[in-house]
Amino acid sequence: MSRSWLMTLSMLIFVAVARGEDWPQFRGVNGSGVSGSRSLPVHFSHKDKVLWQIKLGEGVSSPIVAGGRVFTTEMTPSQRFVVSCHEAASGKEMWRRELDMGPLPRITQPNSHASCTPATDGKRVYVHFSAVGLLAFDATSGAEVWRHPLPKPAYLMHWGASSSPIVHRDMVIFVMDDDLLPYVIAVDAATGKHRWKTLRPDMLAGYALPVMCEANGRTDLVVAGTGRLIGYDPSNGKELWTCKSLPRINMTSPVVKDGVVYVAVQSYGDPSRTLKFALLEWLDTNQDGKLARAEVPEEFRKKFDLSDRNKDGFLTGEEIDTAFQHPSNMVGGGSIIQAIKGGGHGDVTRTHLLWNRDKKIFPSNMSSPLVLGNRLYVVKKGGIGSCFDTATGKGMWEKKRIDNLGEYYASPVAADGKIYVAGQNGFVVVLADGPNQKTLARNDMGGRQIIATPAIADGRLFIRTADTLFCISNEAK
Amino acid sequence: MRQHAAFRPWESEAPAQTRKQRIDETARPGPRPPSTTTRRAIVASLILLASAPAVFAGPRVDVVVADDAPKLEKFAAAELAAQLKRLFDADVRVAAKVPAAAGNLILIGSPATNPAIARAIGANWPKLSDQGHLLKSVGDAGALIVGGASPVATLWAVYELGHRYGIRYLLHGDYYPAQPAKFKLDSFDLVFEPELRLRAWRTINDFAIGPESWGLADQKKMLHQLAKLKFNRVVLAVYPWQPFVHYEFRGVKKQTGMLWYGQRYPVAGDTPGRDAFGGATEFDNPDFAGKRTYEERLKAGVTLASGIIDAAHELGMSAALAMSPLEFPKEFAKVLPGAKVLHTLENLVIGPGDRQPPDDPLLKQLTATQIRAYLDTYPRLDALYLTMPEFPDWVEHHEKAWHRLDARTGIGKHTDLATLIDAARKRKLTASGERGIRALKGNIAALDFLHGLMPDGAPLKRRGSQLDVTILDVDPALYPVLDKVLPSGTEALHFVDYTARRVAEQRSLLAAVPAKAVKSSLILTLADDNVGVLPQLATNHLHELVTEIRKLGWQGFSTRYWIPGDLEASVFYLARAGFDGRITPKSAYHELFAPMCGPGAVPALAKGFAMIEEATTLIDRNDLGFTFPVPGMVMRHYDAKSPPPAWWKKVSDLYGSAMDEIYRAQQRAHPQARPLTLYHAKRCEFAIHYIACLEAVRRAGLARDKKDRDGQVEHLESAVEAMHNALSTLGEVARDQSDRGVIAVVNAHGYRPLRAELDRLRK
Repeated sequence: MSRSWLMTLSMLIFVAVARGEDWPQFRGVNGSGVSGSRSLPVHFSHKDKVLWQIKLGEGVSSPIVAGGRVFTTEMTPSQRFVVSCHEAASGKEMWRRELDMGPLPRITQPNSHASCTPATDGKRVYVHFSAVGLLAFDATSGAEVWRHPLPKPAYLMHWGASSSPIVHRDMVIFVMDDDLLPYVIAVDAATGKHRWKTLRPDMLAGYALPVMCEANGRTDLVVAGTGRLIGYDPSNGKELWTCKSLPRINMTSPVVKDGVVYVAVQSYGDPSRTLKFALLEWLDTNQDGKLARAEVPEEFRKKFDLSDRNKDGFLTGEEIDTAFQHPSNMVGGGSIIQAIKGGGHGDVTRTHLLWNRDKKIFPSNMSSPLVLGNRLYVVKKGGIGSCFDTATGKGMWEKKRIDNLGEYYASPVAADGKIYVAGQNGFVVVLADGPNQKTLARNDMGGRQIIATPAIADGRLFIRTADTLFCISNEAK
Repeated sequence: MRQHAAFRPWESEAPAQTRKQRIDETARPGPRPPSTTTRRAIVASLILLASAPAVFAGPRVDVVVADDAPKLEKFAAAELAAQLKRLFDADVRVAAKVPAAAGNLILIGSPATNPAIARAIGANWPKLSDQGHLLKSVGDAGALIVGGASPVATLWAVYELGHRYGIRYLLHGDYYPAQPAKFKLDSFDLVFEPELRLRAWRTINDFAIGPESWGLADQKKMLHQLAKLKFNRVVLAVYPWQPFVHYEFRGVKKQTGMLWYGQRYPVAGDTPGRDAFGGATEFDNPDFAGKRTYEERLKAGVTLASGIIDAAHELGMSAALAMSPLEFPKEFAKVLPGAKVLHTLENLVIGPGDRQPPDDPLLKQLTATQIRAYLDTYPRLDALYLTMPEFPDWVEHHEKAWHRLDARTGIGKHTDLATLIDAARKRKLTASGERGIRALKGNIAALDFLHGLMPDGAPLKRRGSQLDVTILDVDPALYPVLDKVLPSGTEALHFVDYTARRVAEQRSLLAAVPAKAVKSSLILTLADDNVGVLPQLATNHLHELVTEIRKLGWQGFSTRYWIPGDLEASVFYLARAGFDGRITPKSAYHELFAPMCGPGAVPALAKGFAMIEEATTLIDRNDLGFTFPVPGMVMRHYDAKSPPPAWWKKVSDLYGSAMDEIYRAQQRAHPQARPLTLYHAKRCEFAIHYIACLEAVRRAGLARDKKDRDGQVEHLESAVEAMHNALSTLGEVARDQSDRGVIAVVNAHGYRPLRAELDRLRK
């Protein structure tokens, strides 16, 4: 058989296998966290219902699944970046690419250099790496197809990059909200060539995944960021609408259902806590109430100099206010759960905010909300869960323990009427989808921590712990 | 250029040789290859090409250590070469003789061990004690002598040079500076003499939070770091119930051989912080994992202890064993009628009761058997520490013992029993009042016993080598007559009290020790097991004590600690203060952290550490056993019948402020230092959660007493969550067996009992 014939055959097989149950990006289709899979196990562990397991290097990115293949990223002990592909049914390695990405930037635990969840359109696998930019690999062979260099992101608090791309039609769209030069960019999925780039100068660091929202006869690209939820035209990156109802830091991702965007996030502090307070708390090393040039990370020294209006080598008072946070977007912290109708124009804050809960609610600062039917679920540190009516924002059950303490970085995912919530402590709690809180199981994945959001595809649950990728399935003997 | 005319006396050692000649010779190692075997020549060439020297960005450095130099000096040369390669990417070549045209030349050893040094320095080699060492530039062409009066002193000189270039030796590894000091060999003229000749590090000890849980591999790594910090003795502190020795007496075989008083620590399932155990289901000392029988554990224990002794010797350290001659595993009660079960965890130990007077031959035989067994098991020991009982119940015979002591030593001419008892009663130590009196009486009986045991020295005699004997924990009331009450030829190691603060506040007692007549050293408690599992620091109190014993002419110190992770700053201070009386905690912190973190981070770190020290003092003053790692450590607060005391909040606030300062320092710290700063910040966070848990437990207990079941459950939920958070936080940064031990112990004695109580109430 000729090589070209083999390639054709493999593509045909890929297309034939690819189904609606794929999980092609972070939190699956459109970042919803919901899969159409059936027959998922409720009770399992690191020893039980394990169809296969493979060791993975350090990393917090989620696995993605398409066409019967699982794609993952990891770091080797020598700090090389790895993108790999395994057969979803067996765990057999299909290909593995190990890359030297040069000097690595500073990050803060539990972030990892392998934090970006890849995205795939079945043909290629797309991933962002902070020191390089966007990369594409052939989904079948693993060959590197293109690289699109991007500026190295910079973070005032050294959090490090952790954003993930999505694929929309023939474009790879990527939002990089850092503290220095935030932007959203689209590149050609086949070639990596630039399509458009829109700066987001009024944003601070955040990690929300961009989502697509079909409403009002349009499909908008929706991005949550500092103080604002913004709708863009995905064909050219032009801003269509803005809802100015969000807090300062957005690390969770919005979800879309029936033309409505749901946001649930906790941003540290109360609404008066602008960036200035965080800077004076953590970067002002000697606590003298002003920021010296040496106290600011090196990448921000130019911005520092621009803001140091009296050139005394310090940022004080009003100089700090606007040195790094945009003067037109001086929002603070707070906790919100909101429903915002998509498809608007201009400032939709007064017109499209369907409901807003900002008191006595307990969203997470890390773990994104999940919408199933008419219910919105959130889980936060301490294993505290809440469920809201998506139509009204009214609580169905609020501030209930889900019987698993600790921190939650992974976002809940769901299928088959079951919600899977992975705690950092290595347990995966299974909740019943319903108007009353019901914990079905608490499954022990062996003691290693879980940061990555699990994936679901073809009746299989893919759970990444600190060192292992487990494929959990009722197929397991 | 005057370079060629430079004073280069070492060049006379080797004939002039060109660089090309050297390369050519290198290319022909061993016999000349047969000229006809072309293929072999090609293969050889390929091999040579493959093994050709790497390209170095740094300087070429020739390190000379004599062929017949002591093993430690050769090791020192290898250590130096590794450091220079890593610091400067230097092309380091270690040779036995000075190469011709050597550029940067380092001579290792002393005039006695390295002829090149003898030639280079001649009569200018200074007078050094056996621990003295130096860094001395010679000539004007960039040569440096790195040497000492003994092989281990030479090794310390090498480590000192590394320190001067910016390396910082910590208990958990070396930190290399992001920007090393400039490579230079000239202008060194430094001589180091110890101000404290004995710098001992205690290990094994008891409790899973301490080095009892460390396997040999970890112990060796720790010893290597301690050698770099110029510690010169390791003390294996062992207990009767541990598996480090076997003996039989009158048909009874020792059968108790366990770690951690026999406690076991499962870490499977609901174990917050379990990520730190890498998937293990039970916490264990790795050398004892799976070893369940007495014989298996004994074998593992002896291998571990022997391995520590040998590793210490390889690094030029002496090795001592500290044991309690008057304590035995409980099975020996059969052959010691009337023996008392001593107050220890799990009641595993017996000691003499009133039917065993200090001159009881049976007791003497059993003691001698035990000591003999240790010495036979560990023939390479350099010193034996005989520990006086910590909780002396052996008071019945003290008067007779005193009279016998007087008859032997004439002590009655110098003091009397009533005076001593009065001193023990009135002093301001933990053992004061009635406890102090009991301690003194027991001590007198024990000393009388030791005199009886040691006149002929039989139990301590060994073939072919000297064994130093040190008596540990003599009662402070006896300090003024120490030279009278100790058996002849013995040294003393003084405990005084549990924490450095307590000893520092009573340091006037130390002046009574006749240090010229009895070589004395002091136990420096870096962190106390009674204060427990929270982060502790006592550098300033240690400084007061070091200053005092230096002034009094004491030999030195021996450390006491359980969790070494918190102690990097204290240990660094001790290491430097051992050789330099000008060192203060402040200067030591700067010296330690400036190269590691950058000077901008040091003030915040120092502030954070000062707050931890203040928290340590507050706990010590208010509740010495606050987080003592034993069963009931948390649940005892459930029955406390009182709300959380105000000082808890102060302690929690101090840890909180310390955490903030350390996080601020973390923002500025160089990358290689961040894991360390993060560790300290997380330890503080652990403490905050831990105290929050105890507060909630107290409130739950009060709610229970008021029959407020909802309140009880609510507070217990808060307690469980706080402890979960504490342990998870520590699990994120746990880096050694002691940290894992804390997680395992607090799960067993804190988290699980709380969880069980909560589950019971929810049912």
